[in-house]
Amino acid sequence: MANIISASHLTLGYSNNDVDIIKNANFKIKKGDFVFITGPSGSGKSTLLRSFYGQLRPTSGNLLVGAQDMSKISKKKLQELRTHFGIIFQDYKLINEWSVAKNVVLPLIIAGYNVDMQETQAKRLLKHVKLSEHADRLPLELSGGEQQRIGVARALAKNPTLILADEPTGNLDEYSSNVIWDLMENANEQLDATVVVVTHRIPNIFSIPYRHLIIENKGIYEVH
Amino acid sequence: MKYIKDHIMFIFPMLAILFGIESFIVFDRMSKSYEQELRADYSMLVLTSKPMELSRFKKLDGSISSVDIMEKRSIVEEMAKGMSGISAEDIMQSLPYFYTVHLGKYLDAKAIEKIRGKLIASEDIKSVETFDQSHNSSYNLFLFIKIVLWVFVGFMTLSSLFLVIKQMEIWQFSHKERMQVMEIFGASTMLRSGILFKRAIIDAVMATILTSALFAFLRFVWVERSNIEILTKNKKLLFEYQDIAILGSIAMLIVIVAVTIVVVGNREGKL
Repeated sequence: MANIISASHLTLGYSNNDVDIIKNANFKIKKGDFVFITGPSGSGKSTLLRSFYGQLRPTSGNLLVGAQDMSKISKKKLQELRTHFGIIFQDYKLINEWSVAKNVVLPLIIAGYNVDMQETQAKRLLKHVKLSEHADRLPLELSGGEQQRIGVARALAKNPTLILADEPTGNLDEYSSNVIWDLMENANEQLDATVVVVTHRIPNIFSIPYRHLIIENKGIYEVH
Repeated sequence: MKYIKDHIMFIFPMLAILFGIESFIVFDRMSKSYEQELRADYSMLVLTSKPMELSRFKKLDGSISSVDIMEKRSIVEEMAKGMSGISAEDIMQSLPYFYTVHLGKYLDAKAIEKIRGKLIASEDIKSVETFDQSHNSSYNLFLFIKIVLWVFVGFMTLSSLFLVIKQMEIWQFSHKERMQVMEIFGASTMLRSGILFKRAIIDAVMATILTSALFAFLRFVWVERSNIEILTKNKKLLFEYQDIAILGSIAMLIVIVAVTIVVVGNREGKL
């Protein structure tokens, strides 16, 4: 299987701070992998994830995402690359003035799908996350678990090759968390999407094979 | 309700700016028309010892546009009737030639004095009367009003611009997260800011229509009813259809600059 993410001697940090957050890390994520990245609070899990979608450029070393060198990628290429990603945030990052249905099809709006196509896909996706009856409501009228399901549906809208999730169940109860994990397992198995999840804790019940990367003392190690 | 409030908050300062600009345009048109009237009404009286052609006057000063010779024969003949031993021809020969000299543009007292100096320097010209004092004082008053209006319009535009910028900051804040989320999902700048441009353009069109409607109302309805002679006479100057294009262009320019500031200010940050 081809690598979808490849890091060699990767160092990450913020420009306003000289301290490195990730240092000299080497790892590869293959197409179709389901990867958990864990580590203590402040270890740099979210920072690492941000570097995958180009919000943070490597300080040194190489980071290839979908064959693109993330330290040199142009704005236009990055824009194009991101349309192949599905990103899920801990605090959902939904557009609160848009309806649930419109939020779900954001990637399709960006891709220029026509309104009929958007409506068809919104119905399909909302049915998939069991929120069909909420299509016309605003996100803030729904519970946290429901909002995160909208976030997952949005991430799946365009059959992404890579799903990046930052603490997707961090704010949710056990039931809602299990629903989210089920959706992500399905995305990995049925859509063949590569899934990278940053989390504090790997769920107890997880039915598919996965890899586990751990961040410790600024390094990234694989747990076997 | 919030949607309407958002629009009003932007339309209101835009209206103030456009109202100020249209007031300035109207006053500028009026001042030009007034200048034209002054120029048409104004003439110098020049007395010469020999007959002189327009080309000779023009050689002396380029701002002279036309000259009329004053007919004196009928007056002289009337005068000669009351005098014994002096014929009209004798009087005619002893009198100089009288010319009314018109200028091509309106000039202030200083410039008129310069022309007078050039004319009087010619050996064929005996005397020049400029009559500048009376019309100069009314023009000075007019200039004063014009400057006051400039200051007023400038102040109004400046304070309204501040209101527009304030509203832009509110927009920047309220659209920040949406624009950043869209950017994360790969939306182009145009797509991210499209909604802002759309909203701002609607507001600019509304403000243009409202301002134009107000001045059109003044010209076509209010002035007729007002019976104020000076306004009725100059009602055409209160509003011209080309003003809609001028106001529309200015409004568009303002919104494009304002929205660009918001878009640039919303560059991708840490989500």
